[in-house]
Amino acid sequence: MDVTIIAETTVDGLHPVTSQLVGAAIAIGGTPTVLCPGGLGTTAAASISGVSKVIGVEGDCFNTFDSGAWATALNPLVSDGVIIAASAPSGREVAAQIAAMRGIPIIQDATGLEAGITVTRGIYSGKAIEISTVTAPCAITLRANAFDAAGGGGSAVVSTVNQSADVAVAVREAIAKASERLDVAEADIIISGGRGMGDPANFSHLNDIADMIGAAVGASRAAVDTWGEIPHGMQVGQTGKTVTPSLYIAVGISGAIQHLAGMRTSKYIVAINKDPDAPIFGVADYGIVATWEAALPALKEELGKL
Amino acid sequence: MAYEALDFYDIDSLLTDEERMVRDMVRDWVDEKILPNIEKACHDGVFPDEWRVDLGEMGILGAPLEGYGCPGLSYIAYGLICQELERGDSGVRSFASVQGSLAMYPIWDFGSEEQKNHYLPKMTTGEWIGCFGLTEPDYGSNPGDMITRAEDKGDYYLLNGAKMWITNGTIADLAVVWAKLDGVIRGFIVEKDDPGFTAPEMTGKHSLKASVTSELVFQDCKIPKDRMLPHVKGLKGPFSCLNNARYGISWGAVGAAQSCFSSAREYALSRIQFDHPIASFQLVQNKLAWMLREITKAQLLAYHLGKKKDEGTWIPEHISLAKMNNVDIALDVARMARDIHGANGILDEYPVMRHMANLESVKTYEGTHDIHNLILGRYITGIQAFTRES
Amino acid sequence: MGIAVLLKQVPDTTAKISVSGDRVDETAVSKWSMSPYDEYALEAALQLKEAGGGDIVAITCGPIRATKMLTDAAAVGVDNLILIQDEGVTDSTHVQSLLAAAVKRSGSDVVLCGKQAADTNGGSTGPGVSHLIGAACVGMISEVYAEGDGFIALRASPTGNERVEVSRPCLFTFDKGATELRRPNVRGIMMAKKKQIETVTSDDLGVAIGTSSVSLQSHSPPPVKPPGQKFEGADSVPVVVAKLRDEANVI
Repeated sequence: MDVTIIAETTVDGLHPVTSQLVGAAIAIGGTPTVLCPGGLGTTAAASISGVSKVIGVEGDCFNTFDSGAWATALNPLVSDGVIIAASAPSGREVAAQIAAMRGIPIIQDATGLEAGITVTRGIYSGKAIEISTVTAPCAITLRANAFDAAGGGGSAVVSTVNQSADVAVAVREAIAKASERLDVAEADIIISGGRGMGDPANFSHLNDIADMIGAAVGASRAAVDTWGEIPHGMQVGQTGKTVTPSLYIAVGISGAIQHLAGMRTSKYIVAINKDPDAPIFGVADYGIVATWEAALPALKEELGKL
Repeated sequence: MAYEALDFYDIDSLLTDEERMVRDMVRDWVDEKILPNIEKACHDGVFPDEWRVDLGEMGILGAPLEGYGCPGLSYIAYGLICQELERGDSGVRSFASVQGSLAMYPIWDFGSEEQKNHYLPKMTTGEWIGCFGLTEPDYGSNPGDMITRAEDKGDYYLLNGAKMWITNGTIADLAVVWAKLDGVIRGFIVEKDDPGFTAPEMTGKHSLKASVTSELVFQDCKIPKDRMLPHVKGLKGPFSCLNNARYGISWGAVGAAQSCFSSAREYALSRIQFDHPIASFQLVQNKLAWMLREITKAQLLAYHLGKKKDEGTWIPEHISLAKMNNVDIALDVARMARDIHGANGILDEYPVMRHMANLESVKTYEGTHDIHNLILGRYITGIQAFTRES
Repeated sequence: MGIAVLLKQVPDTTAKISVSGDRVDETAVSKWSMSPYDEYALEAALQLKEAGGGDIVAITCGPIRATKMLTDAAAVGVDNLILIQDEGVTDSTHVQSLLAAAVKRSGSDVVLCGKQAADTNGGSTGPGVSHLIGAACVGMISEVYAEGDGFIALRASPTGNERVEVSRPCLFTFDKGATELRRPNVRGIMMAKKKQIETVTSDDLGVAIGTSSVSLQSHSPPPVKPPGQKFEGADSVPVVVAKLRDEANVI
């Protein structure tokens, strides 16, 4: 079965998720051809084990992101089997456009794939799991880190095709990432501090980690009430915000019932507390019994490696 | 967690789409604007002006009145508005009750065409706030013996006397004041800048802390002749206003009780003692079941009374029963919810103690609990028991 | 100029989702709401109308219960309401064909929708419809305004944000917008009550719905999380981070 993989690229070249797309394609018995939009990352793609062909698709249209133009340029190189792309903003949009052009179904953000083709994915923001089957031709996008990556050591043939399309979107101005902090009510990851942080100045350690992983910084009521420097807007709990992020990291928070009321429905909870009997461990998926002074530098280091 | 109102008998299915939309609009507003700010407002003892603006923008002031820019909603919709506002805080519902039922209603029903055109459009948008002056320091349950007097001075009326326990008084642009003119109770519109009129705020309340409560003082207060409400004489005037306000309270009390129930249920499910949620213990379940039972009955009373208001088949005694019962059970629900919350129940983290303190006022304002019993007693026996004389 | 906004009614994001007999039990959903990203799209449509005029048509593909959401949209200022009655179509290509046909029929030259719906979490509808109606697609935007004959939109880029320009016809998909959907008021609710909802079928739109090669096998509740794990000391941080990445898949 032919599988066309649309590589996920960055300004530096190939995004590592591409190896996972290849791994998933091989696992369902596919013979993968990798298309590299803009000709980026072809060498890296060729070295992924199991890739049969790499095509660098070069054209002016790849200088600006316009999913319609990208899809138009890539579509003629797509085979009639299965199209696989990464479930990233650009991958999703381009795959959806190609699917519409070819009149084939698309399934987005799969977390599991089996020969057949059986697709597993989360629906209702992960509150249920959907399993469906689909036959080729079809398009499927895959969630990052949900599939085993194919190894290295491949030596696929690389070719280059010049193929462009009219671009309808023009970038007028690039705006650097705003440094303003995310609101806890909206963030997908929250790192919160309690009175166990000892001093409001120590929240800077939480800020550093938040910046690394795109998280918001929250606080317990005890911290907000004790220190004027910690604004009420950061408070998570009964009288603060009720939050349901994918990941909630509670640091130096004992876990009073009023705090738990605001965060217990988070998908995953990590608690860092020096008191092994702190009630916060009762709701934590992963508890670390340690002082924040010891745990936060280690956390920062580990997250830096990702 | 999103608020899920207790609705055991699916009252929701009896509502029209329009009523549901109005209810949801107010419910969302309460979630967004009242709940995050109410404790601070209570602590500071203020009714934030932003709330007045929002209530006006939503277009719910004077909800059941028609014409003159007023919404013209059903009485059921008006009840739902009161329910949702009081789920937030009784003080917010009080503001809306006073504006709509006690200040706008008498102008709408008993005012001249000029008065209606002048006041109502600006009151329904919240631009002008109204208050209602009936109760006096020495005449509460017995307003018929009020002291406040109006004298006809030819070109103007002269008012003398004092009113007390007046919601919105200090922040009001106008007051509908009931005073005796030649021994007959008449309604007068007093504006805030009228000479001889002052409205000092009453402080030190342990209840309705986010609501403004005032005295109205008239010392040789001169008002133009066109400010008297021409179309009503006697206690019928203030009493018809009170009927509407009390109707709204019967729904409002349900909202406060729903809020307490919801908090108690959630707390009981998450509070672990003796290794189990306290919700798993029989005594707590008994309390929750009692709360559900009483709230459901109160909802049915309020809904059926609303239908009768919309059909015009109600009598004042129907309103007395609903106001008295619903506030009574709401207060008991609040106390029981406080109990389920244990020590946590006294904290401002939970709404229960605030509702409890508020409902103590609601129980005795707009006709005390006991006076409503006497109204029903008179209805049942034909014998009035308010006074010693027959 | 005609503005079309594509809306979907979904279980409220706070509602509990329960599964019975291999399918999500829709009858157990306590509250249905407009999909949150669609709300941002709707607010942007209202702002475009306020700034430059033009009628807004709200189009949804769904069952009869979705009329409530359309009425909610009318209460905040949408002019025309179209319900495409679906016969349980789940294939994204079918939904796109129906929506595209309705957009074309409305003559709108700017289309707004959410980047994905809160139930299926797909995200194919916007880009797919844009292709079918021959419009440029700008995805994941947070604000948009008209300039000249075209539009300027703010979208996320790998390095931050970028302001892009695009001409009509075009379609925007919304990430979290800069402004929340406005609250209705009583006047809007009274008007909405009187507004007709045009109900159309695939036949009315001239769209032939073929068989789908996608077939739903089952819905199931998410796997039960393992009981909490407790680790001693800061040395365990690397283990926990690895679990967050590989087991929980949240970083």
